[in-house]
Amino acid sequence: MRKVVALAGNPNVGKSVIFNALTGARQKVGNWPGVTVEKKEGICKYKDIEFYIVDLPGIYGFTANSIDEKIARDYILHEKPDVVVNIVDASNIERNLYLTMQLIEMEANVVVALNKMDLAKLKGYKIDVRKLSKELGLSVIPMIAVKNEGIEELKVAIYYATKHRVKPFLRYNDGVERIISAVQEKVIEHNILSNYPPRFVAIKLLEGDEEILKMANFNEEVIKQWIS
Amino acid sequence: MMKLSELKQGERGTVVDIKGSSEMKRKLLNMGIVKGAEIKMVRNAPLKDPIEFEIRGYHISLRKNEAENIIVEVRK
Repeated sequence: MRKVVALAGNPNVGKSVIFNALTGARQKVGNWPGVTVEKKEGICKYKDIEFYIVDLPGIYGFTANSIDEKIARDYILHEKPDVVVNIVDASNIERNLYLTMQLIEMEANVVVALNKMDLAKLKGYKIDVRKLSKELGLSVIPMIAVKNEGIEELKVAIYYATKHRVKPFLRYNDGVERIISAVQEKVIEHNILSNYPPRFVAIKLLEGDEEILKMANFNEEVIKQWIS
Repeated sequence: MMKLSELKQGERGTVVDIKGSSEMKRKLLNMGIVKGAEIKMVRNAPLKDPIEFEIRGYHISLRKNEAENIIVEVRK
């Protein structure tokens, strides 16, 4: 059985090291269609499953402002990979978790690879991995990829994720949630971008995301009326 | 209150406002530069552009015109 696994994360988190450790020599390098952004793909076999691994460009967010962000966002929303491995730099955890939050909003099936645990320790960070996993509602695998630590555990977590899809939920404060629900109702009622998760569409419309507004053929004034 | 670009070396500030295009704001948001964030001026490049800052435990270089759009309150 073949399952598609995408690797996503900020630049410089060790994405390529993990990609190489997972795929070994079974990889090929090409371009994303139409753009000169490198696309790396590889195969990793584990038990009865063949993971088809796609390395997404390193990004800080999914705002689709840059071509890298657009590629990563379109891949996750349109190709709907079976699992998204979100590589998080433990020594820079606060900034990195912002991307994790966005992946959860996109309702991707996320596994967090918490890399650079050695650097985090050097910085004096004490990360409660179990609690982080519980709070996020998904598997968190601590790793030191350059020392090959955690790679086997990551394979197990990916394998498990292909069998049991997680559905983490990120709850904002009550005021924000009320507004999201109001917009989400409209999104469902008007069938707006129905191939995307309605909560994700609602949040992006509220953020004033230009790409989503354009795709939905709306302007911000309409959204303002909905919530007034 | 002053522009982030006016912080002196080693000075710290709290972000109170971000001006500029929504595209710029979103880019800065992606990097963790939001209202309430603590930011420290690390050093200038020659001609004071770009400027290196430290925020949320990592270093970032901002162009002068980007730093001018970020308003901070200096921490004593």
